[in-house]
Amino acid sequence: MTPAGIESPTAGGGRGGAAGLGPVRRVAAGGMARRRVQTVVIGLVLLVSCLASVLALGLVVESQSPFDHAFAAQRGADVTAVINSSRASAAQLAATERLAGVTAAAGPFRETTVTAQVSGSGIGTLTIPPLTLAGRASPGGPVDHLVLQSGHWPTADGQIVLAAGQSGPDIGVPLHSKVTLLSVPGHPTLTVVGTANSVTGSASGWVLPAEVTRLSSASTTPSELMLYRFASASTATQLRTDAAAITGALPTGAVTGTQNYLSAKFSETGNAAPFVPFLIAFGVIGVVMSVLITANVVSGAVVAGYRRIGVLKSIGFSPAQVVAAYTSQIMVSAVVGCLAGVALGNVLAAPVLGHAADVYEVGALHVPFWLDVIVPVAMCCLVALAAVLPALRAGRLSAVQAIATGRAPRTGRGYAAHRLFGRLPLPRPTTIGLAAPFARPARTAMTMTAIALGAAAVTLAVGLTTSLNLVIDGLSHSHAEPVQVQVPGSFGPIQLHPGHGKVTKPPAGGPSAGSPPTSQLPTPAVAERTVEAALRSEPGTLRYVAEADRLVSIAGLSQPVSVTAFRGDSSWTGYDMIKGHWYAGVDQVDVGTHFLTETGTKVGDMVTLQDNGTQIRVKIVGQIFSTDNDGLMMVTGWQTLAKADPTLTAMTYDVALRPGVSATAYAEALGSKLGSSYFVSVNTRHSSVLDAMLALVGILTLLLAIVAGLGVLNTVVLNTRERVHDLGVFKVVGMTPRQTTAMAVCWVAGIGLIAGLVAVPIGIVLLHQVLPAMAAAADVGLPASFLNVYHGGELAILALAGAAIAVAGALLPASWAAAIRTGAALRAE
Amino acid sequence: MNTLVTLSEVTKRYDNDGHPAVDDVSLSIAAGEAVAVMGPSGSGKSTLLNLIGGLDRPTSGAVTVAGQRIDKLSETGTARFRRTEVGMIFQFFNLLDDLTAIDNVMIPAQLTGMRRAKARARATELLAALGIERHANAYPARLSGGERQRVAIARALVNRPPLLLADEPTGALDTASGDQIGQLLLDLNASGQTLVLVTHDPALAARYAGRTIRLTDGAIATDSAEPAGVAPVTGAAR
Repeated sequence: MTPAGIESPTAGGGRGGAAGLGPVRRVAAGGMARRRVQTVVIGLVLLVSCLASVLALGLVVESQSPFDHAFAAQRGADVTAVINSSRASAAQLAATERLAGVTAAAGPFRETTVTAQVSGSGIGTLTIPPLTLAGRASPGGPVDHLVLQSGHWPTADGQIVLAAGQSGPDIGVPLHSKVTLLSVPGHPTLTVVGTANSVTGSASGWVLPAEVTRLSSASTTPSELMLYRFASASTATQLRTDAAAITGALPTGAVTGTQNYLSAKFSETGNAAPFVPFLIAFGVIGVVMSVLITANVVSGAVVAGYRRIGVLKSIGFSPAQVVAAYTSQIMVSAVVGCLAGVALGNVLAAPVLGHAADVYEVGALHVPFWLDVIVPVAMCCLVALAAVLPALRAGRLSAVQAIATGRAPRTGRGYAAHRLFGRLPLPRPTTIGLAAPFARPARTAMTMTAIALGAAAVTLAVGLTTSLNLVIDGLSHSHAEPVQVQVPGSFGPIQLHPGHGKVTKPPAGGPSAGSPPTSQLPTPAVAERTVEAALRSEPGTLRYVAEADRLVSIAGLSQPVSVTAFRGDSSWTGYDMIKGHWYAGVDQVDVGTHFLTETGTKVGDMVTLQDNGTQIRVKIVGQIFSTDNDGLMMVTGWQTLAKADPTLTAMTYDVALRPGVSATAYAEALGSKLGSSYFVSVNTRHSSVLDAMLALVGILTLLLAIVAGLGVLNTVVLNTRERVHDLGVFKVVGMTPRQTTAMAVCWVAGIGLIAGLVAVPIGIVLLHQVLPAMAAAADVGLPASFLNVYHGGELAILALAGAAIAVAGALLPASWAAAIRTGAALRAE
Repeated sequence: MNTLVTLSEVTKRYDNDGHPAVDDVSLSIAAGEAVAVMGPSGSGKSTLLNLIGGLDRPTSGAVTVAGQRIDKLSETGTARFRRTEVGMIFQFFNLLDDLTAIDNVMIPAQLTGMRRAKARARATELLAALGIERHANAYPARLSGGERQRVAIARALVNRPPLLLADEPTGALDTASGDQIGQLLLDLNASGQTLVLVTHDPALAARYAGRTIRLTDGAIATDSAEPAGVAPVTGAAR
């Protein structure tokens, strides 16, 4: 029986049971109070790791889920087949619905592609990209159930519903606007009566079936759309097999093209997808580092607490209670860190997920609740595992063994290193410090790994930053063509942007606001002569080239392909070649990677463009780095596009400047010369997505470097605790505070240097894995030069990153070591 | 005779409420003296030694050693003072376990910037003088207590300090080893080395010290000078 007021650690009869938790809690609380630095370190490390994990996983999950939800709800088409109805009968088409693997089908829907102008309240008259019109009696059906966003479905001829979302030209087109079909004889006009969403982007506008038949040009091949859902349609390979089954079931030539839902999904999720690989890379690094550092902290706490463990056991603590005490003193800060990390991760993920929400018009998106639960639970489990193993060792120690062992490293460890380093012609505190890690090989290995991961993250971040800047330059062409001039009439509320075919609104304050009415605009020929004369007269002009941008159709693709045709030498315009060569003759084109993916073609293949009712057969001679029109783009010579439109006129002039000429000053001078009808712009290298990536890379790298530094700090604190008596001895024999600091920094500087050397190749390998994965997620190829971004001097500096992290992390605890009072250090047990 | 150590009204408190560990102590030690500081446990012997050695700072009062007010020195200044003016030996030796005997001895010399070869020569000379040169490359764990204390003495003397402070130097040794170490200290003192020895053993104090200061509750209870015979130690003295 214990005296009143004195509680036995096992009071209540439990062997580490609930009744014995009071002393365990007090011991854990005491341990946390004694090791405030380690408590804070663990909390911060887990905060960063959870933050990175939530951000990465949140983006992975949520960037996909809106599309998946909408696809399921709208019964999106896995495969869309374009049928030449002159080659297949209605019965043959109906038979495809019963093919093995087909779970649902819809169609045939007659379709036709038209060029059009839109006019309406507040938008004036605009020329819009070609419309793919499909004839449907209603929005519903077993496949591709259309969701009306506004208005109603056509109830009579002369009415049209435009596609909402990215695939349709609904930007700013109000209901009741008039769509004039320029490519249809008689230029009939349709009234916009609604907007609808097709999750698979089966068309860009819908009219009644009879209407589409009437609008179809007699000269073009009649085509029908068939929409299918398949039992196996989760991968590109399965979808290709499915499409092949349809093609094979119909007469030869009946299927003129197929498209699967992955392209629509890519289009919808493309912006967020490239974030995922590097977020995962940083997230994994963060998780591994947090486990290592936690294991180091707990091991250190156990080692430093051997004597205390011995005392605890001698007064009756059971092994389970010792384990519980040492694990719980870690878990408190781990849980706090995890929760804070999850909260911050949600905050940081909000802007990125907000973008996805805008795309899908599904309201606000958040990190899913289950992710907010799973991430901290998983992290805490990892930490608990890292904590329990050394705590178990503590629990197994006998009281006498623990007290006798104290905190000293095992005898003999590191002695040889001391002998070896002692011979170096370096100050003695330095050599003693450099030899110290050998006394604790496990701790040294864990610390070195944490530093190496931090330094690898730095190496990866430097490479990613350089590569992404090259990407920005490569996409903007701002170096090659810093100034662009648009000729009058080529811009409007919806237009082909001079930056190579993007459909965008004009810049604020651009010419649309104050430009003259259409009737007063110069003719294209006059405009071209005016611009070229002005360019020739400007002394800063180095060279220029005229370009015309068109959206054309490719059989089997519902989305239009952007074509940029250059008049004259355009090889200097800044497109980075991935494969092949720059076009060198008529009917040669260079295309974006996504074009190759979507059309299933490769460099050297032939494809047929449809423009203005004319078919142009071209050869793909090169793959270029471009995301214009989501990569569905090609560049070619003027004569190629002129086949479809002999009156093709320049829309934009790309201008290169002489060295040292300010683009802004040049643009202002040229703009003054040309007047308000012309829009002269400086080609900036802005990219919100890439800027966001660079910012995120910077933040995560900084956080991981801080985590690595915290790991170092923790190690030096542990070393200081263990070696406090030796520090006292060193001080007795005359080691100054500065020498003590140098010695303590050298405890980790050497391993930091080695870790840095190891980290550089790891970082390079990571870049070569992560960047292509990012590019693949965005379906853009990468020029080799974008990956080979490290140079000699830079590598040498990066190799020092580990040492820099080590020194930065060690300075604070080293100064604490230097400040320890000699007498107190000698009295320490 | 020159005064090497002067304490003026020195008080040391470890907390504000409790009794001072050293209470208003004033004393002087001349160069070449061998002084034993005695007293029961907790009387302030080791604290007094630490104050003289610059390991602790007094709460009040002045500590002057070799002409320097060490209570006024910065941490760096105190470290430099300890390197050159004081050698310390302890009951439990305080050798660095991961360094060989000769490396332990060389450390204070190397901290002053002495080249390795010269420090090694000086350390070898001292180890030879103390009769343990054959253990120069041995680690402390493999040495006997007496041998470890000889290494500690060699380390204390390597920079030729004028003052040697010894805190219970024979306390952890068997009788024979204790006698040998005591004799070494006697020899050092005979060669002119000033020695301040903390002990609770009256016999040790009587045998090896010419003067005994007895502390009680941090204050000097008695301070008497007694004759002691000494014999020189070849090569170990300054």
